[in-house]
Amino acid sequence: MARLELRGLRKQFGRGVVALDRLDLEVGSGELVSLLGPSGCGKTTALRIVAGFEVPDEGEVLVDGVDVVGLPASRRNMGMVFQSYSLFPNMTAEDNVAYPLRIRRQPKAERQRRSGELLAMVGLATQADRYPHQLSGGQQQRVALARALAHEPAVLLLDEPLSALDAKVRVTLREEVRRVQLELGITTLYVTHDQEEALAISDRVAVMSEGRLEQVGTPAEVYASPRSPFVASFVGTVNRLEATVASRAERTVRCGELVLRVGAEDFEHPDGTTVALYVRPEDVTVRPLTDGPAPAGAGGTVRGVTFLGSVTRVRVDCSLGSVVADVSSEEALHLAPGEAVSVELDPRRLRTLAPA
Amino acid sequence: MLRYLGVVPLGAYLLVFLLIPTGELVVDAFRDPSGTFTLSNVTTIFQAQYLSSFAASLELSALAALFGGILGFFAATAVVHPNAPRLVRSSVTTFSGMAANFAGIPLAFAFTSTLGATGVITVAFRHVGVSLAAVNPDATTLGLALVYTYFEFPLMLLLLVPALDGLKREWREAATNLGASGFTYWRTVALPILVPSLLGATVLLFGGAFSAYATAYALSGSTGNLVTELIGNLTNGNVTVDPQLAYALAFGMIVIITVLMVIYGLLQRRASRWLR
Amino acid sequence: MAALTATAPARPVPARGPRRLARRRLPIWHLLWLVVAAAYFVVPVVSLLEFSFGGRVGGHAAGFHWYLTVFNDPSFRSSFLLSVRIAIETVVLSNLLLVPSVFWIHLRLPHLRPVMNFVSVLPFVVPPIVLIVGLIPFLSPFTFLYSRPEVLAFIYVVFALPFLYRSLDAGLRAIDLRTLAEASANCGASSASTLLRVVLPNLRAAVIGGSFLTVAIAMGEFTISSLLSFNTFPVYIFNIGENTGNEAAALSVISLLLTWAFMVGLFIVGRGGRAGAQVAATR
Repeated sequence: MARLELRGLRKQFGRGVVALDRLDLEVGSGELVSLLGPSGCGKTTALRIVAGFEVPDEGEVLVDGVDVVGLPASRRNMGMVFQSYSLFPNMTAEDNVAYPLRIRRQPKAERQRRSGELLAMVGLATQADRYPHQLSGGQQQRVALARALAHEPAVLLLDEPLSALDAKVRVTLREEVRRVQLELGITTLYVTHDQEEALAISDRVAVMSEGRLEQVGTPAEVYASPRSPFVASFVGTVNRLEATVASRAERTVRCGELVLRVGAEDFEHPDGTTVALYVRPEDVTVRPLTDGPAPAGAGGTVRGVTFLGSVTRVRVDCSLGSVVADVSSEEALHLAPGEAVSVELDPRRLRTLAPA
Repeated sequence: MLRYLGVVPLGAYLLVFLLIPTGELVVDAFRDPSGTFTLSNVTTIFQAQYLSSFAASLELSALAALFGGILGFFAATAVVHPNAPRLVRSSVTTFSGMAANFAGIPLAFAFTSTLGATGVITVAFRHVGVSLAAVNPDATTLGLALVYTYFEFPLMLLLLVPALDGLKREWREAATNLGASGFTYWRTVALPILVPSLLGATVLLFGGAFSAYATAYALSGSTGNLVTELIGNLTNGNVTVDPQLAYALAFGMIVIITVLMVIYGLLQRRASRWLR
Repeated sequence: MAALTATAPARPVPARGPRRLARRRLPIWHLLWLVVAAAYFVVPVVSLLEFSFGGRVGGHAAGFHWYLTVFNDPSFRSSFLLSVRIAIETVVLSNLLLVPSVFWIHLRLPHLRPVMNFVSVLPFVVPPIVLIVGLIPFLSPFTFLYSRPEVLAFIYVVFALPFLYRSLDAGLRAIDLRTLAEASANCGASSASTLLRVVLPNLRAAVIGGSFLTVAIAMGEFTISSLLSFNTFPVYIFNIGENTGNEAAALSVISLLLTWAFMVGLFIVGRGGRAGAQVAATR
C-alpha cells in the first residue's frame, strides 16, 4: 500500500497567476481524499502535478516517502481517470483496459484475463467488444476506471470523472467508484467541484480556494464545523447571519431579537465584536404563530416556499435577517407565503466565525 | 416530382460536359475509326513503350506522394504542436494555401530556375563540386517528383491539420499515465487514429500527381514519357494524331484511378472500423 | 493488490530548490521540419525572381527589362485579357448554375446531397487531359461554340464545380436554411424572393470564396486551352518560355502574384476557411 504526500507544492502560470500556493496534503494508505473547490482553485493543477503532467515550481510529491517530481509521468505507476474523452477511440473496451498491460509487455492471455476481470468488476463484462463511441458516457467512464486500475497502480487519480455525466448516472457511478476503491484498498486522490459528491464518497475532504487548502477533515467535520467562511458557504447550503457577541464567558451572541448560546465549538470572540453566525437550513425550525403558547423564536413572515421532494425549503424574513429553513414537506403544508411564523435556530449547531 | 425540375439544369450540364464525354471515351476506346468494335486499341497499350509510360507515371506519383506526404505530415505535426505560436499556425496555413495553388506553367519555370541546368541551386552546388543532374526537373523523374512536392506537401498539410487537431490531449496524457513513451503513444494510439485521414490525403496526393499534365509538359516538352504527356501529344498533333490510341490511354488512366479508389475504399473501411 | 509492492519504480530523487519557470518551446525536431518546409516554399520563388531580373541586355544588368518587354508585348495584353474574360464567364456561369441548384437541393431534395457529394468529387478523379480527350469529338460538331473561347468557360465550370459546390454546401450548412426559409415563407415570400433576399446575403462569403478559387482555376488552366489551341495567359507564358527563359520567369512571377492575391483574398473572405476548399489549381 502506498502513502501519498504533497509537500509545499507551488505553481505559477505565466505572470502573477498563482495556481497553487504551498499546498500540503497527505493521503494515507488505502484512503480516498477529495480535493474539493470551485473551478480555478488549483485542484486540477495539484492532481496534474501528482500525475506528472505539470512540474511544480517548488515542493515535493512523495509516494511512500520517495519524491517522484523528477520522474516522467509514464514511470510514476499511477492510474488516472480523466473528465471525459480519454478512452482511445480506435480500441475496444477490452483493448483499452489491456493497454497498460500491453505497454508492459504482458502475455496476451494474462492481458485478456486481467481486462476481463476488471470489466466484470465495473459491470461491463458483456460490452468488452464495444468501441468507445458505442458506449454511453457512464459506461465509458467505467472502462476508463478499469483501465486506470489495470496495471495495479500505487495511486489512483480521478479528475472530475463524473462531471460530464447526467445527474442520475453521476450518483450511481460515484457509489461504484467508492465500492471499487474500497474493494481494492487503493490510495486515491479525487478532484471534484461537486461538494455533495465529495462528501458522499470520501474518507476525508480537502477544501481548496485560490490555490490554498482551506480545511481538511472527514466529510462530517467539514460539513458540521467549517473552519472558514469559504468552507461554510461552499460546502452545503448555509445561512449567514450577522450577530454581536453578548458575552464571551457565557458563549452568547445577540442576533436580531434573540440571544443565542453557541455550543459545540471554541468561542474566542471578545465581547461586543461582530461575528458571522452560520446555521444550516435543516437546523432551523419554522412554526406557524397560531400554534399554542408564545414561541421562543424570532417572529417573521414566510416569503417563499420551494418544494424539493423529501423536504421543502422555506424562506423567511425575520429580525435575524433572511433565513432559509428545510422543513419536512408535510409540515410545509401549513406554511404559505405571507404567513406569520416563528423562527428558531438549533443552538448546538450554530457556528460563529470572525467575518471574512 | 415537380421539385426535381429544380436540379434539371445542373444535371443536364454535368451530363453534357462530364458524364457523356467520359462514357463516350470509354466506348471509343473499343472502336476503330470507322466505329466498329475492336480490342486492338486497348491491346496496343500493353506494348512495352506504353506500359513503360504507365510505369513512369505511377513511379512519379508514388514519389511525389511520398515526398509531399512526409514533408507535409511532419510540418503539420509541428504546426499543431501546443507550443507552436498562433502566428506560426495561421501563416503556415496561409502560405500552404498559396503554395498548393502554385502549379502549372509558372511552377515549371520556378523549378527550372532552381534545379534546372542553370538553376540557382544547381549552380551553387556545382561551385562546391556537387552535381545535381540527378534531380534535374527537365529530365529526371526524381526531379519532377520534387517539383510536384511543391504543391503536394502544402496540400498534405492542409488536409492533415484538422485531423491532427482532432487528437485529444487526454489521449496522449492517458497513454503517458498508463506508461507509454511518446513513441509508443504515436504507434499505438495517434497513428491508428490518423490512418483514415492519412490514407485519404495520400490518395489525393497520388491522384493529383498522376493526372498532372501542364507542369510536366512545360518541363520536358514533347519528349516526355508520362501517360498524360503521351495523350497530349496524340491529341494536339505535335507528334502523331491517333485519337484511338489516345482514347485507349485515357481509358487506361480511368481504370487505374478506379482501381486506386477501390483499394482506397477497402483500406478506408478497414482502418476506420472503429468509427462505425 | 499485493503486486503493488513489486511495481513501485521510484528511486530516490534528490530534493531540489525552486525550479525555473520553463519557457514553453517548440521542440527542435518540429522546428527543423518547419524550416525545411519554409525553405521548400521560398527557394523556388526566389530563384524565379532572380531569373526574372537576370541576364544581361546590351552590356548591363537586365533589371526590369524582362518585365518591360512583357508589358510592351501586345500578345501579353491580348492573352491576359482573354484569360480574364474566360475567368469572369466561368464565375458567372458556375454561380448561375450552382447557387440555385444547391439552394434547391438543401431545401427540397436533401436526399440528393450524398449524390452531389459524389458527383462533385468526379472532376478530381477524372484528369483534365482525359476529359478533354473525351470532349473533343463530342463538342467539335458544335462549331459555333467549339471555335469560340467561351467553350473554355463551359469546360472550366466542371473543374470549378467541386470547389464552388463545397464552398456553397458548407455555407448553407452553416445557416439553418429550413428555418430561414420557413420564416421567410411565413412572412409571405416566394421561394425565389427567399433565395434573393434571405439566402444570398447569408451566402455571400461562400459565393465570394468559391468564386476566388474559380478565378484561380480559370486563370491558370493550361491543359485544355492549349489542346484546344486558345492563346490564354498560361499558354502565352509557355510559348514565351520556349524562346526566352528570363521573360517567362517574369511572366511566371506576375502569374504567381495574381494567384496569391486571390488566395489572400480568399483568406480574408473566409478567415482561413475550411482546409479542403483552399486548393483549386489544375496541374
